[in-house]
Amino acid sequence: MSPDVAIQQALNGISFGALLFILAAGLSLIFGMMDVVNLAHGAFYMLGAYVTLTLVQRTGQFWPALVLAPLVVGLLGLVVEPLLLRRLRGRHLDQVLLTIGVSLVIADVIGLTFGREIRSIPLPAGLDRSIEIGGSDYPVYRLFVIASGVAMAAVLAAVHRRTQLGALIRAGVDDAPMLAALGVDIDRLFARTFAVGAALAGLAGVFAAPVFGIFPGMDVDALIYSLIVVVVGGLGTLTGAMVGAGLVGPADTFGKVLFPQFALALIFAIMAFVLLLRPTGLLGRVRPAR
Amino acid sequence: MFDDQRKVTSLPITRRRLILAGGASALAAACAPAATPGPSATGAATATAKATATVAVKPLKIGILLPFTKVYAELGNSMKRSADLYLKQNGNKLGGRPVAAPIYEDEANDPAVGAQKTQKFIEQDQVDVMMGIVATPIAYAVRNAIDAAKLIFIETNAGGNALTRATTDCKPSCKSQYIFRSSFSAWQISNPIGTYFATKKGVKEAFTFVADYGFGTESAADFTNAFQAAGGKVTGALKAPLGSADFAPFVTQLKAQPTKDIYSFFSGTDAINYIKAWNQLGMSAAGYRMNGAGFLTEQDVLKEVKDLANGAVTSLFWAVTLDNPENKAFVDAYQKEYNLLPDVFAVQQWDGMKALDLALQATKGDTSNKEAFIAALVAAKFNSPRGPFSFDKDTHNVIQDIYIREVRTQGGSTVNTVVDKIPSVTDPGK
Repeated sequence: MSPDVAIQQALNGISFGALLFILAAGLSLIFGMMDVVNLAHGAFYMLGAYVTLTLVQRTGQFWPALVLAPLVVGLLGLVVEPLLLRRLRGRHLDQVLLTIGVSLVIADVIGLTFGREIRSIPLPAGLDRSIEIGGSDYPVYRLFVIASGVAMAAVLAAVHRRTQLGALIRAGVDDAPMLAALGVDIDRLFARTFAVGAALAGLAGVFAAPVFGIFPGMDVDALIYSLIVVVVGGLGTLTGAMVGAGLVGPADTFGKVLFPQFALALIFAIMAFVLLLRPTGLLGRVRPAR
Repeated sequence: MFDDQRKVTSLPITRRRLILAGGASALAAACAPAATPGPSATGAATATAKATATVAVKPLKIGILLPFTKVYAELGNSMKRSADLYLKQNGNKLGGRPVAAPIYEDEANDPAVGAQKTQKFIEQDQVDVMMGIVATPIAYAVRNAIDAAKLIFIETNAGGNALTRATTDCKPSCKSQYIFRSSFSAWQISNPIGTYFATKKGVKEAFTFVADYGFGTESAADFTNAFQAAGGKVTGALKAPLGSADFAPFVTQLKAQPTKDIYSFFSGTDAINYIKAWNQLGMSAAGYRMNGAGFLTEQDVLKEVKDLANGAVTSLFWAVTLDNPENKAFVDAYQKEYNLLPDVFAVQQWDGMKALDLALQATKGDTSNKEAFIAALVAAKFNSPRGPFSFDKDTHNVIQDIYIREVRTQGGSTVNTVVDKIPSVTDPGK
């Protein structure tokens, strides 16, 4: 592989990683706070993509989707948590089962509403160009995804460290029952956390829609990748999602072109290796049993 | 009645359910008159069935196994629409024999499910003819059961070569006198274009890039063999795992090598993502040319990528723009009924129905004499929307013309325009 091609492939890998970060950050956030592996995360991602499709079809505009799709998916999260998950609080495995049910319902409702054909939307105006990098054309949209991933990481980190909500989330991750005992409305906090996590999945769906296509089954693909990312990086921490996505994105890209036979095996091998050395993930912490 | 039985037996069997199921079937058997059509046959069929019941003509039972869920659901829906339309047009009769509403089952793109549903057709429904199956692994998985049951099966999509070939130890599959194929073999859509490129188009070098699974690998091998036999040189090969969301890494690799003509096999989502990545990386501007087996640029793909696919040259046995009276009639009828353009899958199912219809005409509606019925199917020749259609008497695979098509945008719509034709392409059968 020549240096020029290596640079291009690195950019491919980093942009895939940036998308994975936005996707996995939501999954990690929900798990950190609520101890629930939300298996409906892929369905939330899919919903974000279909909301984008609807907007582009109706208005011809891509940009509003960046706000509206996370909003719609976040609102759904705001309903699902109190309506369903809250009733099973403390029964983690039952909650996980419930999220599988939610994902099936979302995927089938989407299938019934939009049909089961493959859909696709054009790249947003202004980002449908290419610029020269390393002696060859490189699509601007993928650079935009990288920039967005980095920006999201900065915003999330700032919210996490600097705001009151961030402080509550950190405290909740450490010990939710104690936080409740201190007088914080834990129900509201959980619902909001779940909504933010879902909205992040929806946002990832918006970014993915113009590049990866919109089709039944995209939810499962996304869920598998986001699970790998959080397992590698460590569940429940923001930096874990960053490290996991930064590792899995490029590993997946280079694996595909260098060892095509083992592409999928490679990222699972990384996951198995990390689990052997650090069962909680690279940046995961040992959590007290609750 | 069938619906009831299906509901009961598809649940996990507990003792109570077993008793219930036994009771239900006993009841069903007791109530069933000799010539009851299927549950949702139209009034016309019911009337005909009653009228002919006296001469003891049982309505023909067709079991159609298609995917109605998972990735290939839309293919299944398209083929179901086509089969229903054919029956509607012919007053629910084939070869003069009334036809019960087809029994549709969902293979869910899973060989285990496909095998189970095939058993249901054979044992429970006792269908006269079976049709359908989209994915090659499922067709391979049910081949032996169909052969052993001596059930006439018309394959209407899966294109794996081995299904209609003589292979060593029947691995991964092999031809059966009971199996016909009205769709295509991988060889038919990959080999002729290889020869065409090396000879008529004068291409010297090509590079293959296909989906990494059985069908993609077969397609690349068939193209490579034909292209090299005709004097061309394949300079390299690349494969992408089935369902790769991100095609940029692969297209970056294509661009890093010097051979300009790329032969590809992808379909559905993969094809869309591939074509988009191709454009984003400026492949056409850099002089690269996209070519491949026809599913790369079929309507499901073109309607999403539109003019991004312009210039791609592919080979297939049909194009919606094909200029012949049968195709015009078919496209018009389908559009009128469903307000949709038909796709290639609809044509495959349509031709399967047509062949069945002609064979039943020859046997006067009789399917009990298998030898005679097979002979009648082999003898069925007609003009299909794709052109002349017949079955190869040795392999029972379809013999058809292969069209070389180029994607062009004309008057705002992007379609495959036929630029050349290779007549009567017959699979070598081994």
